[in-house]
Amino acid sequence: MEKTKLPTGESLYRKHLPNGLTCFVLPKPGFLRTYAVLSTHYGSLDSKFRLPDGSTWDVPAGIAHFLEHKLFEEEDGNAFQRFAAWGASVNAFTSYTQTSYLFSTTDEWKDCLLQLIDFVNNPHLTEENVEKEKGIIVQELQMYADHPSHRIHSQLLETMYHAHPVRLDIGGTVDSVQSITVDDLLRCYDTFYQPANMALAVVGDVHPGETLQLIQAHYPPWNRSEGSFERLYPREPREVAADWVEQELPISQPRYLLGFKHEPLWQGDDLIRQQIMMSIGVRLIAGRSSASYGELYEANLITDSFGASFNVHPGYAYTVIGSETPDPQALHDALFGIICRFKDNPVSEADVERLKRQLYGAYLASFESFEYTANRLIAHHFNQTPYHHYLPLLKGVTADDVQSALLTQLDWERATVSIVRPVQDND
Amino acid sequence: MKFTLREIGPGVRLHLCETDKFKSLTCKAFIQQDLKLKEATSTGLLPLLLRRGSQRFPTTLHIARELEDLYAAEFGSDILKIGERQILEFYFQMVDPSLLPEGARQVKRGIETFWEIAAHPAGGPDRFVDSFFDQEKQTLEQDLKGLVNDKRSYALARATALMCQGEPFAIYKYGDLDTLQHLENSDVYHHYQRLLSAYPMDIFCIGSNLTSLVDLLESLLPPRQEPVELEPAQGVKVLEPKFLEETMDLQQAVLVMGYRTNCTYLDEDYYALLVANGILGGFAHSKLFVNVREKASLAYYVGSSIEGAKGLLTITAGISGDTQDQALEIIQQQIHALQAGQITPEELYQTKRGLISAMTSVNDNPAGVIDRNLIGIVHGQMRTVDQVVEALHRVQHEDCVRVMDRVQLDTVYTLRPGPKEGADHGEN
Repeated sequence: MEKTKLPTGESLYRKHLPNGLTCFVLPKPGFLRTYAVLSTHYGSLDSKFRLPDGSTWDVPAGIAHFLEHKLFEEEDGNAFQRFAAWGASVNAFTSYTQTSYLFSTTDEWKDCLLQLIDFVNNPHLTEENVEKEKGIIVQELQMYADHPSHRIHSQLLETMYHAHPVRLDIGGTVDSVQSITVDDLLRCYDTFYQPANMALAVVGDVHPGETLQLIQAHYPPWNRSEGSFERLYPREPREVAADWVEQELPISQPRYLLGFKHEPLWQGDDLIRQQIMMSIGVRLIAGRSSASYGELYEANLITDSFGASFNVHPGYAYTVIGSETPDPQALHDALFGIICRFKDNPVSEADVERLKRQLYGAYLASFESFEYTANRLIAHHFNQTPYHHYLPLLKGVTADDVQSALLTQLDWERATVSIVRPVQDND
Repeated sequence: MKFTLREIGPGVRLHLCETDKFKSLTCKAFIQQDLKLKEATSTGLLPLLLRRGSQRFPTTLHIARELEDLYAAEFGSDILKIGERQILEFYFQMVDPSLLPEGARQVKRGIETFWEIAAHPAGGPDRFVDSFFDQEKQTLEQDLKGLVNDKRSYALARATALMCQGEPFAIYKYGDLDTLQHLENSDVYHHYQRLLSAYPMDIFCIGSNLTSLVDLLESLLPPRQEPVELEPAQGVKVLEPKFLEETMDLQQAVLVMGYRTNCTYLDEDYYALLVANGILGGFAHSKLFVNVREKASLAYYVGSSIEGAKGLLTITAGISGDTQDQALEIIQQQIHALQAGQITPEELYQTKRGLISAMTSVNDNPAGVIDRNLIGIVHGQMRTVDQVVEALHRVQHEDCVRVMDRVQLDTVYTLRPGPKEGADHGEN
């Protein structure tokens, strides 16, 4: 059991169990709620893979998310009912790179934890219940399809990437979902749900040693396929697939989203450092404290929805900047000018120091959220990035670092613009 | 999580919760008023205007830099609607001073900043900065028109407006476009000054070493007049259910069903209503989730919720456009089942436990600890977590059946995929 002191004064415990499962426990004395999340390092990106026997598989898009739905199914009912008996709430979510099952409870957290481990380890898939789930998932996809913010983002990634699966919706498409079979689901389950590919985090008023013992004693033996699989990704060209895309939706005003495609070159400390530099960098462009925010807002080119983010994983990386706007073209031209300014004008040291102070405060505050803390620990574990190096790395970042990160990453040769406009009324 | 209450001015109540449980200091202030069309839109503009600048921090940039300097402090302002009250909310949170260098100085600076942004907007002496006012009128116009961007919220707002036509509850919490066109800077400014000086105000703080804040907050308050008396929400009897369908270029239909419960927070069956609603559509074990989603595969989301100050029960479901009749039938069957007493001991037990757990766990979240008191403030009767848990424990099978018997269908609204926008009033 490895213990780390957190900057909030709390202690974090980590243990790698003999079956390969990695566990985190963060005790929160005095809190009534316990939150736990069991995640597999398997998300929508992992649709092509090679098994230890040498066979390669290319399965329909949306399987990770489909499995997330189906693991709740049980022979007599569903896993929701098990948790309802304690008044606990249980849920799950799928991202590009992981699938997570979680509960939150104020009572009987040990029972809840054992039930969580149990239902994730006992898939009950039949032709009939898989078919039935398709109706529910199609409604989920259609709900997202009616969200303009979801649409503009999907449209950007589809246009930016040629082949990498980050260009596809996490849930797949209506057609890919319809084509998914019990065999597909079981093959992916057998491959990606082995304990060595999973991690478990518990946050609450719990004793770390006892918690780890409980998990170790009750995590079931894995009787399915074992061994290291290989994730296969298509070769993704350096350039964007296309640089401009638009569509019409029933919305009130246009939305503009600018994306820069980056080469995912970073691992470990470098990845965290890059994340910090770019977090500061995008705040200098789109933060409320930036001069450009004020300029664009006064010129009526953006709304309060204006924002930017740097998204990085070991396998892909991109930056997005966007807003609702009455005039996408004018906003595009203005952003071009703002970003070009970083070439000639040094980034202010005072700005960077102030934003470092903000990131420091936000980092401390983030441990207040059980959910965010647990999910971040697991994401860092899967990405093999050392979460506890964040503050020392933050301290070391300079204004020059931020400027050079911005100049390197915001490369107009590798940019895509995604726009959605209100449907033209012909009446 | 116990609050101590003290009156620090006419109609100004300060609620303090001293605890070192959290790594933060959280403060919220609520000013409530009756929901009325003209005032609603004026109030709706205030959160937009306040973020533009204050006397000491004259632009958004200055405010943002001050908050960054305070180690990622957050200021927010928004509008809430509880029953037929409109509430202006100010929110402030910062890292607990004990974790910061020069903590005591930071907390004083934090609270002063909070009140500076909330109560001393840029401009003066009797108006907001004209350019800010003109631009934020446009922003609110876009926000009101932009409701259509989120189909579920849009459908809910349309259903509410239809259901409560002619009642104050029909007013959207940020107001309406017609009133907005005619708003004048100085009128909105005076309305805002009235809110600060004469409407009931509740300020909540949660964190450590709060006693030092009492004098500080008291010294920051504006001069107060006798507080304005407010009205309770109207109850309305249903004569005939109303039906409305609208179409839009969509993938999915949103079905909204609005019921009058004839039961509010002050009613002795209020907690029975919360339990009955939980059994109907508040949980993954609820009748709606099991029958509409799990058994019939008609929806990804389906659920029901209670508005306890006005006494409404609302069901929403995202369904395919061609399964509306089937969904409607299954939903009505579930209501009838509850009214006929078809509630298993497990359903009752699990639902009570789920509600009690949700109520208990708000004590782990500073904003939650504060927000749960809002319905009590609006009714002039605050209840502790223990009192609510006790009331939920007492709810029995027959209480749920009795309270469901008072529930009447008022409105069925559907936003459907279709060629163009338009309304169609149906017969049944």
